[in-house]
Amino acid sequence: MLRASGSKACRVIRRTCGRWSSTSASHPGEYDVVIVGGGPAGLALAGALGSKQALRETLKIALVEASDLSKVHDWNTSTSPDTFSNRVSSLTNVSQAFLKGIGAWGEVESNRTAALEEMQVWDGMSDARITFSAAEIGLEHPEEGMARITENLNLQRGLLRHIRKTPGIDILDKTKVQSITSEGTGQWPLVHLDNNQTLKARLLVGADGLNSPVRTFAQIPSFGWMYDTHGVVATMHHAPRSAFENPNTTAYQRFLPTGPIAFLPLSPTVSSLVWSTKPALASALKACDPSIVARMINAAFRLPEVSLQYLHDRILSSHTSSGTPTSDSDIRDEIRWREQSHAIDPHSAYSSSAFDAPTSSGIPPADSQMVPPLVKSLQPGTVASFPLRFNHTEAYIGEGKGARTVLVGDAAHTIHPLAGQGLNLGLGDVECLARCIETVVLAGGDIGSYTALLPYTQERYFENHKVMAACDKLHKLYSTTLPPVVWARSMGLEVVNELDSIKAALMMTAGSTPATGPSNAALNVNGGLGQTVFNVAASGFQVFATANKTMQAVQTGLTSAATRALQAAAKAATGSKGEGK
Amino acid sequence: MNPVRMQFIREKLVETALDDSEHKVDPVKPNILAGLDVLDVGCGGGLLSESLARLGARTLGVDASESNIAIANHHASQDSRLRDNLTYKHTSAETLLSQPKRYDVVCSMEVLEHVDNPTMFLSTCAELLKPSGHLFLSTISRTPLAYLLTIFLAEKVLGKVSEGTHTYSKYIKPSELIEYFQKYRSPSPNSRPWITRTYEGGLPTRTEAEVRGLVYNPLQSNWILAPRGAWGATDCNYILWVRKPGSSP
Repeated sequence: MLRASGSKACRVIRRTCGRWSSTSASHPGEYDVVIVGGGPAGLALAGALGSKQALRETLKIALVEASDLSKVHDWNTSTSPDTFSNRVSSLTNVSQAFLKGIGAWGEVESNRTAALEEMQVWDGMSDARITFSAAEIGLEHPEEGMARITENLNLQRGLLRHIRKTPGIDILDKTKVQSITSEGTGQWPLVHLDNNQTLKARLLVGADGLNSPVRTFAQIPSFGWMYDTHGVVATMHHAPRSAFENPNTTAYQRFLPTGPIAFLPLSPTVSSLVWSTKPALASALKACDPSIVARMINAAFRLPEVSLQYLHDRILSSHTSSGTPTSDSDIRDEIRWREQSHAIDPHSAYSSSAFDAPTSSGIPPADSQMVPPLVKSLQPGTVASFPLRFNHTEAYIGEGKGARTVLVGDAAHTIHPLAGQGLNLGLGDVECLARCIETVVLAGGDIGSYTALLPYTQERYFENHKVMAACDKLHKLYSTTLPPVVWARSMGLEVVNELDSIKAALMMTAGSTPATGPSNAALNVNGGLGQTVFNVAASGFQVFATANKTMQAVQTGLTSAATRALQAAAKAATGSKGEGK
Repeated sequence: MNPVRMQFIREKLVETALDDSEHKVDPVKPNILAGLDVLDVGCGGGLLSESLARLGARTLGVDASESNIAIANHHASQDSRLRDNLTYKHTSAETLLSQPKRYDVVCSMEVLEHVDNPTMFLSTCAELLKPSGHLFLSTISRTPLAYLLTIFLAEKVLGKVSEGTHTYSKYIKPSELIEYFQKYRSPSPNSRPWITRTYEGGLPTRTEAEVRGLVYNPLQSNWILAPRGAWGATDCNYILWVRKPGSSP
């Protein structure tokens, strides 16, 4: 009886205080999922949860973002179709399939995206080259490309439009998270906002980027390092490819010892730059005249390493206070002289002589596809840079006082951009987490509990780490100029370039092939022996990850045992000596 | 183990709903138990009861231990969604039998192997059901494998379960449960046994009863609901579903 009246009272309170709209600090609004961060990962998660009917009916979702999302929503593209944002990502076919699945891809303006049909990657030291072509790797729709270069803002706007159409998702933008507290182990975290609202979250999702406040609250340690490298981005304008060439659908990447420089096509005459280089050079380039930057980009794709080194030093010295300023014509003459001394034919694609000439429409040189189109100018105000780092948290799920938290995207991992996988890994996390949450909801579980979220970590941690480690090793492998290493890596690259099946396998792991057929666990009434066998086999792979941890533990144990044995031996030795005396 | 038990309950309810009516049942409907009275006998800390309540059932959890009920109440009080349709009572199934209330679904997970008089316990659970009600039981089979895993490994070697929790002689084989329900008739006049026919090898038909193995995968530290008829899967932990016959013959 007492219990019945108690629950009635609770219902009255909930009704009167208004469950979601007016939530003050004294009566926190309860949400099933609170997502902190309105970047691509956070928005995609809100969209993915909202796209599943079972979750739409049961979950109350809030998304908190510090900045003004109406700027993303009204991101104006009508000014000129040739103006592009400088932050772009290559969305793999797997990521696209996920976005299509949740119904958000239709909101992304597709004529501002470009299919990637080919990739050319080469070594700046040896010119060893590998080519990936959508037509060669056995894709179902090669004309759709291996990936799609998409402006991040275009994706974010599409996701936001999609979410606005989904009922049951509260978007709290222009709202900062002031603090996150917990009432004790396993309790629902309280998210205190700067508008005096407090949200009580069954599950708190950190999609809040590198310096994630959610991660800090959950006290999840992370490991990583800064690369001595900054990424320079810019939007580049160039002449369209001629009728004798392939269209501008090829991405180019040259590995220089200072870091890779990449050319990502956006439209027939516009492409995007991602140039990883030393921080000093990055800031010097940003301070330069845009025309000089354009010349330097062209040179970075064309000139031999020794000349680039000289040009970089020249830019660097002109940037320091004591150095002599360098004019556009100085750089032009220097590049021209260097091309002559390297015996580069002025009519070949490796010559930048056409930079100062009016666009010609003749027959292109035979090697014109070996390098990207000659950059003519940069879109004003698009040259920017950011530091690059490697960062991976030790766990994705919070425990103890930080329970009921989970991390996705950059909050969990930050990666070198050389393979363009950062955003794709984040979307992979989101897809997996949404699937995991759906399974738990259908089984009546508590989506905030550790065991409920465990499959998410089990599926994503090793997967992410694999890609992150590969990119890290590539960066390190290509930053050396040591001749034997250059020889070995070039040899390896040329060999792989001849092996189509290996190339196809590489591209598959890089997300070019989406999984076929939707799998829906809830529909699979009989379980299926095959599925069980597969599950067991798949978990076999996980043993490797566990084995690694075990090995570490064993190693630590052995080291300490060995140390102790040595100490004991030393003691015994000194002891016997003492006795001897 | 809870997610696979819930998976089995969901699958079985969807399947029988499809058999009973021509209406299409949405298998991904979250509140599949909405409007049903569900009893959880031996609810312990309320793990299963909470899940049942989240799927919409008017859930009553009973346990013979007062401290278990206190723990379950405390845990449920932290989730406001559970306030409306989840109640716990410190009582026994036999006491409930003396009250007129009957249930659409009765669950008793990992209880049978601790019970001193299993036939009486089974008949109590059976009589607490409405006609056409569903009975879900999970327990451990009496096989050398079960002894090795649940008593020798779990209790003696790894110490995951305190020693003396399980008694080998109290374990019940799935075939024995099926045999019991082949004979068992509800006390009402002209009732039929719950299981009327079996296939060769003693497996019941899909519409009357079903036994599925629950297999622990130590690599992923999760439980798998073994496929129907998987070899050896019911030799340790298993879950049984059996349905009370409808009121009209």
